[in-house]
Order: sequence, then C-alpha cells, then structure tokens
Amino acid sequence: MSKQPHVRRRYWNEPSMGWWERAYVFEVGRGLGITGGVFLRNMWKWITGRKGALTTYYPEEKRADYAPANRGKHLLTQRPDGRPQCVACNMCATVCPAQCIEIDAAFDPDDASHPKYPARFEIDYSRCVFCGLCVEACPEDAIRMAPETPDLPGFDRDRMWVGRDELLSWNPQRDVAKPYPVARDAGPPR
Amino acid sequence: MPEILINGQKFEAEAGQTVLEAARAAGIFVPTFCWHPQLSTAGNCRMCLVEVEGRGLDIACNMPVSAGMRVLTDSPEVRAHRRAILQFITLNHPVDCGICDKAGECSLQDYHYAYNGEASISAEPKVRSTKYYNLSSRILLDNERCILCLRCTRFTHEISKSMALGVESRGDVSVIRPVADRPLGDDPYSDNIVDLCPVGALQSRQFLHKTRVWYLEPTPSVCPGCARGCSVNIWHRKPEWHVKTLDPAQNQSIARVTPLENPAVNGPWICNKGRDLARIFERRRATEPMLQGSPVALETALERARELIGAARHPLALVSNWGSNEELDAFQRSLGAVFTAYVKSDSVPQPGERLEDELLIRADKNPNSAAARALYADAPARLPEGTDLVLVWGEGCDFGALPRGARLIFLNAYLAPENGHADVFLPTSVQTERDGHYTNFQGVISGFHACFAKPSGALDAEALFRSLAAPARVHA
Ligand code: SF4
Ligand code: SF4
Ligand code: SF4
Ligand code: SF4
Repeated sequence: MSKQPHVRRRYWNEPSMGWWERAYVFEVGRGLGITGGVFLRNMWKWITGRKGALTTYYPEEKRADYAPANRGKHLLTQRPDGRPQCVACNMCATVCPAQCIEIDAAFDPDDASHPKYPARFEIDYSRCVFCGLCVEACPEDAIRMAPETPDLPGFDRDRMWVGRDELLSWNPQRDVAKPYPVARDAGPPR
Repeated sequence: MPEILINGQKFEAEAGQTVLEAARAAGIFVPTFCWHPQLSTAGNCRMCLVEVEGRGLDIACNMPVSAGMRVLTDSPEVRAHRRAILQFITLNHPVDCGICDKAGECSLQDYHYAYNGEASISAEPKVRSTKYYNLSSRILLDNERCILCLRCTRFTHEISKSMALGVESRGDVSVIRPVADRPLGDDPYSDNIVDLCPVGALQSRQFLHKTRVWYLEPTPSVCPGCARGCSVNIWHRKPEWHVKTLDPAQNQSIARVTPLENPAVNGPWICNKGRDLARIFERRRATEPMLQGSPVALETALERARELIGAARHPLALVSNWGSNEELDAFQRSLGAVFTAYVKSDSVPQPGERLEDELLIRADKNPNSAAARALYADAPARLPEGTDLVLVWGEGCDFGALPRGARLIFLNAYLAPENGHADVFLPTSVQTERDGHYTNFQGVISGFHACFAKPSGALDAEALFRSLAAPARVHA
C-alpha cells in the first residue's frame, strides 16, 4: 500500500493575515481583552448575585435549562403496582457500548404475566457515555433517561454504581399504556 | 449411487438417503425443526419443504432420493411456503424471547430472521396455554412456546426409553404431558430434551434465567461422572462479559454443561449427572498446605514431604483414578520407582444413582480408571502391613483402613476433615482448572481444557509430583 502524503484540506473561510495581524501584539492584546471582559463581567454578576452568570456551582447548584430531550440519569419505569416494568432481558446490557449495565434476573412463577424480573439492576455511571442506546434497545419501555444529570460526583469510581431501587424510585414513572393480560391456565408450576 | 441435481448442481447421493441427508451431505442447508439425525422421522413441522421439478413440493426429510431427481431448495415457491409455515408455527407462539432462555440459539428465531422477517399476519388472539408446567424437578415446560415437533417425546421413546412424555388433546390445544406412571424425573437422560427442543419450550431449572446465552462460551471438556467419559461443553462467562459489581463468583462458575457431539463415545447425548458438574467442582476448596492441620508455606510442606519420603522404608501410594493421563504419567516418572502404587477409586455410586445401562452410564463412576489400571493394580482390601508412609492422592480413601502408624501425605482439592489429620497436606487443582486427557473404558482418549484460573494456593498434581521427587520451585 503506497502511503500518500497528507494534504491539508482547504476551507472556504480560511483565515488570511494582513499586516495588522502580522504585527501580532495588538491582536493578541485585543483577544486577551475579550476573554478578560467576559471573565470580569461573569465574576461581577456572580459575586453580586445577579442573573445571567454563566458559571454554576455544580453539584450544589444545577442548571435549569437542560433540553427536555437531554440524556441524563436513567430511570426504571414501574408497572401500575410499582414493580419494575423490566423483564431482565438484558437487551440494554448487551447493546451498551460501555458495558456498564449488569442485571441479575429472578423468577417469580406466581406473577404469571411478568415471571422474569430484575433482582439486581446496576448501572456504572463512571463508565456510562449517555448514548441512550439502552433506552432504544429496551422492548418494554422499562428504561428511560431523564433530562437531569446523575448527582454523582465523587472520588471513588467503584461508588458510582446505581442500583435497581434508586433507579426505580428517584423519579418514578409509570408505564400504564401496556395492559398485562393474565394468562389463562397460567400459574405456579404444578 | 443415484445422481441427483440440487439447485442445478450434480451430486452423488447414496442409495437409501433422503433428500435432506443428501443435501446436507452436499453442504446445502435445509431448515428443519422436527428432524434430528438420531431420531425417527416425524415429518410434522413441514419446515424442510423442497420443490422437486415435475412433482411439486414435498418434505425433504421423508423423501428418498431417486436417480435424476431435480431438487430446488430455494425456489420462489419454496420460499413462499417457508414463510407461510413460519407464520403458521408462530400463530400461537408467544414470541416472549426477552424472557426465554433459548433466545440466541433458538431455531425459530434464526429461521424467522432468515426466511420470514415479517410480524404475525394473524388478527386472531393467540391461544394461551400453561406457561410453567412442572415436568420434573429438573425441567419446566412452557406449552405456549411448544411447536409440537415431538422431538422430546421421540427422545423418551427411542433413545432414553423412559416413555415419559406424550401428547394430550388435539389441534391448537394439544400439549406435551408426562405419562402418568412414568415420571420424567426417573429418566437419567431427561435433560437432553432441553437441548433437543428447537424452541424454548423445555427449560432447565438449573439454568432458568441464570444468564443470557450470548454471555457464555463453551470449553470442550470430558465428563468425569463415569468411565464412559462423555465429551461435553462447559459453558462459562466470556471474559469480556465478566461481571464487575454482581457476585464475582459468576465469572468463575459453570453456567451449564451440554453434550459435545462425539460419535466415538457419546454421540450427541449425555446423562443428567454430566449436567451437574458444578456440584462436583464447586464444592468448597482447600487452598492451604498444612502440616498436621496447621497451615504452612508451600516450601515447608514440600520439604517435610520429601523428608518423609526419604526416610520411609516401605512407602505406598494410592493413586487417583480422577488424575489425567498426564498426571498419572508424571507420578509414574517422578515417584513410580519410590512408591508401591495402587489404584484407588475416588468415587463410588451414590444411593439412587443409576448403576449401568446400555446407552451411556457405566458402573465405574470414575473417569480415568483405564489409564490408572494400565499402570497399577487395584488397591487390595487390606494394605500390606509394615507400610510406614502412605501417599493418598484424591478423594474416596478409607482412612480407617490405612496401616496403623504409617505417616500420611494427602493431596486433595476440596475441604475435608481428613486434610487436617495428614502429616503433610497439599491442595490440588480440579479438572476445570487444567488441561489434560482421560482414557475411557473403551480406550478412547478425550481431552479437556482449563475453563477457570486455579484458586490461589491450589497446585497442579503434576508439578507437585515433580517437586516431591526432586527439590525444585513450584508455582501456585
Ligand atoms: S446510555 Fe449508553 S453507555 Fe449509558 S448505560 Fe445506556 S447504553 Fe450504556
Ligand atoms: S431495561 Fe429493558 S432492555 Fe434492559 S433488561 Fe429491562 S426490559 Fe430488557
Ligand atoms: S422459543 Fe425461540 S422464538 Fe420462542 S420465545 Fe424462545 S427464543 Fe423466542
Ligand atoms: S416441547 Fe420442544 S421438543 Fe417437545 S414438542 Fe414442544 S417444541 Fe418440540
């Protein structure tokens, strides 16, 4: 395979330098002026508690203007009775590019319309890339992502796992659109 | 040898072959649900329909070849009918793949994606049926998923001969049911029907919702349950799917055992004991070398053992018939000249266990008696008096029958009260942690491979024997 020398791509808005820019020091001074101006204005607004400051003190303070479709923290939806909608099918865990979902499935033969459920459902926020593929993959609408970001800054990566009960309860959402038929003749193993 | 044309290509078929066999032998895949090479032909699923020019559509599994036959396995007609058959088979199928343990290795899923790809066109509600029927303490039946291919019933009639299963009722309410006076639980081969079932209707309770199959990988191995030495696949988590926050034992445990087809030994079957290898290998393990019950460094224990061997005048060894050919060979080379060695039976039949039958199960419940007996004689009922040192390798030793006053070197993989009574105790690895071979009772040699890492402290017997013969560093 012959190696082609790299040719830099030219863009339509390629900057060009005149004698003023070549003189260097004036334009650099102007640039510093812009940065400094924004910094001082922001600082002043923040110190005096005015609206419009660009900095927030995360995590104590949070921005209120996340887009409604922002992919933040996951939540597990609930059935009408509050139990998880999830059937522990592992589609989300399989598709996850960060492989950060781990599920332990359990079996409940008495719950004929929902015999397989997650006994444990863990997401590792130190590795999640917030791609939303888990939400796309779920056949049960059991996992969604809320706009709010997970409140998880910390010093220990191993403590960034969030488990089933928190995912179910931090912002409970019901999926009542799906009726659960009760199987005729179904019941506990005989 | 009749010559036939499949999809326009000429093939030599063998007289008496069916079109399906001829096509598969020629490398042309014809989908099937009910057909199985080891079972009688039922011809009920219709999935193997092919077109014979001039004769129309017919099932390939039940059509003998005849000279000059022109078969089409992928004509538009065949494809249209396959789609229709899949629509028919899924008419009442729940398609609950998300909670089905077969998903990922299910013929119905695979064929649906390969030949149909369309959602059900039926407007009728699906017929509901028993979701969990208790066939035995090992197997659950989901009648909704069952496609009535009758592989399971044919297996119990033709292979295991337990006649335990039959069909009840007719039409869309027919269900597989156990025969009243022949419990499936008494069939020591019952778990084969779980593999045989082309869909997820028969589910192993051991494996129920344990994990998804695509997280697992198989390692070829040999069942140590009896002298047959069936070839098996031991399934365990793929390294890339090791869990990080769930119980880490999941990464080091046997998820399931399935047969590994081996015409020379077991064909495509194994018995239920082979499915329960976790019960053998996942007992609590011994990991510390000990001198009379007090844990010591490995070097100290080996040093003491060498001392005992050097001082003994009549040393005797009881050799394990669970040792691999390689380990037996290492023992013979390193210590065979020093010890008078006998073969010990590590395992004896358990109460209730089937002793022997014509299909697979053998009365000798140890995997490598043949290789061990080729080297040494069976241990006599009374060991010779005057023995002053006994080396016991493996389980199943009657310590009360050992010569009085003899020193004891004991090699064992599992925690046992006797470990602490030995003068020198050395912990060993188990079969799933090393490579090796067993020779079965027919003389067929089959190999097994390591699935897991050894627990820290456990050692391969091979290395131990070498270092007992000559001081050399061994690595845990
Ligand atoms: S958002 Fe993406 S990375 Fe995060 S858990 Fe879901 S699939 Fe995995
Ligand atoms: S959240 Fe959805 S995709 Fe993930 S295991 Fe549960 S049901 Fe399956
Ligand atoms: S038997 Fe196959 S198609 Fe049916 S639910 Fe199970 S995986 Fe899906
Ligand atoms: S249970 Fe499985 S093997 Fe038995 S008839 Fe039904 S689909 Fe076939």
